[in-house]
Amino acid sequence: MTVALNFLGRRAIVLHQQDGSISRLLRQLSLLGIEFQIQWHPLESHDASADFIFVDADQGWNELFPWGGDQTPMPIIALLQSEAPGRVAWAIENGASAVITKPVVAAAVYPTLVMGTAVFEQRKAAAAQAVRLNELIKMRPLVHRAVQAIQTQQIVDENHAYNTLRDMAMNRRITIEQMAAEILAGAVTLNEVG
Amino acid sequence: MGFIFLGWSIVRKTIKVGVLYSENGPYGSMGRDCRDGADFAIREIANDPSCSIQIEPVYADPAGDPRRYLEESRAMLRDQGCRQIVGTITSQARKEVIPLVEKYDGLLWYVCAYEGFEANENVIYTGTCPNQHLIPLLDYLLPTFGKKAYVVGANFVWGWEMSRIARELLGHAGGEVLGEHYLPMDDVEVDRLVADIAIKRPNFILNNLVGPSSYAFLAAIAELGKRDQAFRPENCPVVSCDLAECELPFVKVDSAVGQYSVGPYFDSLQTEENRLFKKRVEAWHGAERRLSVFFEGAYTAMKLLAASASAAGTDDPVALKAVLHAAKYDTPHGPLRIDARTNHAALPFHLGRIRADGGFDIALSRPAITADPYLTFGQREAVRPFLRVVQ
Repeated sequence: MTVALNFLGRRAIVLHQQDGSISRLLRQLSLLGIEFQIQWHPLESHDASADFIFVDADQGWNELFPWGGDQTPMPIIALLQSEAPGRVAWAIENGASAVITKPVVAAAVYPTLVMGTAVFEQRKAAAAQAVRLNELIKMRPLVHRAVQAIQTQQIVDENHAYNTLRDMAMNRRITIEQMAAEILAGAVTLNEVG
Repeated sequence: MGFIFLGWSIVRKTIKVGVLYSENGPYGSMGRDCRDGADFAIREIANDPSCSIQIEPVYADPAGDPRRYLEESRAMLRDQGCRQIVGTITSQARKEVIPLVEKYDGLLWYVCAYEGFEANENVIYTGTCPNQHLIPLLDYLLPTFGKKAYVVGANFVWGWEMSRIARELLGHAGGEVLGEHYLPMDDVEVDRLVADIAIKRPNFILNNLVGPSSYAFLAAIAELGKRDQAFRPENCPVVSCDLAECELPFVKVDSAVGQYSVGPYFDSLQTEENRLFKKRVEAWHGAERRLSVFFEGAYTAMKLLAASASAAGTDDPVALKAVLHAAKYDTPHGPLRIDARTNHAALPFHLGRIRADGGFDIALSRPAITADPYLTFGQREAVRPFLRVVQ
C-alpha cells in the first residue's frame, strides 16, 4: 500500500466551533497546502467529497455525520481534550482513524494526517476484502453441489470432480463459484466436461 | 521598555539568552563553532549603541547527550529566566527542547541544516531545509554526473529522512538509489560500506553521515579512488549536506580535496559583507580564522534575536516575532528574511568544493530560496489541475 505523504490541494472540513483552540491546527493545515472550511453544524451528503474531516470529539454528536460510523467516506480525525472513555468511544463509533489531542501541538498534525489516512485506506481495503470473502463463502454450497453433480455424472471421486470444475473455470476465465452456478443452472451440460 | 537613563549613562535592558550547544562529544567541533559565533555576536551587540538591549548568555554543554538537552533547556527556561534559547544541532536534540519552549512560551533559534517536515511557532529556523539544500544539489548533480546515487547517512532521523527524500526525488527524475547505508556518528568501521560502493559503482555519493563516521568514510573513499579512478572526486564525487570548515581539521584534508558540501555560507564567500565580517572576527579572535556555517549561523541568529528584541523593546516571543517577520536583515551571507508562515529563513544555496588548504571553493551559487519545509512547492504545478474550489 502506498502511504500518502503529501496533501497539497486536498480539502478538509473542520467540525469545530471557531475559537482559538484550533488556530495551531489551521496553521499547520495551511502549511501543508490543505484547503479547509470550519463549521459547527451537521455535514450534508455533498460534503462526502471532502478529503478529511476533523471533528471536535469533546462536543460532537452523532447527527454531525450524514452517514453511519462504519461507512465514513473519508478519514475522520478526532480532536480530543477530554480523557472520558465515552468521548473516545464516540470518536471510534463515528469512524475516527486517528486522534489529535488538544491543545494541539504543531508536531502532531502532519504525522496524524499520514497515519489517519493510512489507517483509513487499510480499513477500506480490509472491508472490500471481507465483502469478496463473504461472497465466496455464500457460494460454497453451490460449489459443493456442482462437485457432487460431476461425481454422479462421471462416476469419479470428489477430488477428481473438483479438479474438473476448476479446469472448466480456468478455461473460461471465470471463478469456480461462477462455473458451479452455470453448471447447476444447466447453462453448461456436463457432457462437455472431461 | 527600552533603556533607562541613570545620570548621563544609559543602562540597557538585559535579556538572558540560553546558549545550548554540545561543545564536547561526537559533533563538538560544530558546537564549539556555534558557541563562538554566538559569543562574537553578543560582543558586537554589547558594543552597539543603537541596540537598546544587551544579551546575558546562559551557557550549557550537554556533550551530545539528548537527556541533558532536556534538563539544561528546562533549567534555562524555568529557573534562569531565559525566554530565548539559541541552540541544538541534531534533530533529536531540537525535538527534546521544543516541548519545553512550547510549555514556557519561549523561542528556540535553530541554525543548522535539517531534514524539514517541521514548522513550529516556537522555533525560528535560520538553517536550511531540503528545498534549500538537497533539491538544488540534485538539480546540479544529476545532469552533471549521472542519475545513479549511493546514499550514506547518520543512523538517526537526519540520515534516514534525507535518504527517503533523495530516493523520492531521484525516482521522479528517472534516477535510482543503488544502495543506502547508515552508521552511528562514532562508528568508523566503513570498509564493508566502501566495498559495497565499489561493487555498485554509482555516479555520485550523497553523504549525510555526521562526525567521525563521515571523516572515516571520506578517507576510505580517497583510498578507493587511488585504486580505481572511477571513484576520484571528478568522476564520482562525495557530496555532503552538512560538512563545514570547522570539521575539515578532523578530516585528512588530502583525502577530501575535490569533494563537495553545500550550505548557505562558506568562509570563502566573495562578498563585501563577508569580507567585513571576517575582518571583525579576526580583530576579536586575535588571528585569522576560518569560519563555518555553524559560526556564521549562530552569530546571525543571535544578531537577529537582539535586533528584533531591541525594536520590540521586549523578549516576549509574540512581540519579537512580529518585528522579526516584518524586517529584512543584513547578514554575512546577504540580506535575510524570516517567513511569517513557516518561521524559516530564505537562504542562498552554495556548492563548495574542498581545497587542499582546508577551505572551500564556491563552485555554484543560487540566490536566496524561500523555505518549503513540507516540500509542497515542487508538487504545485502537477497538482494544480486537480485542485477543487472550496465552497
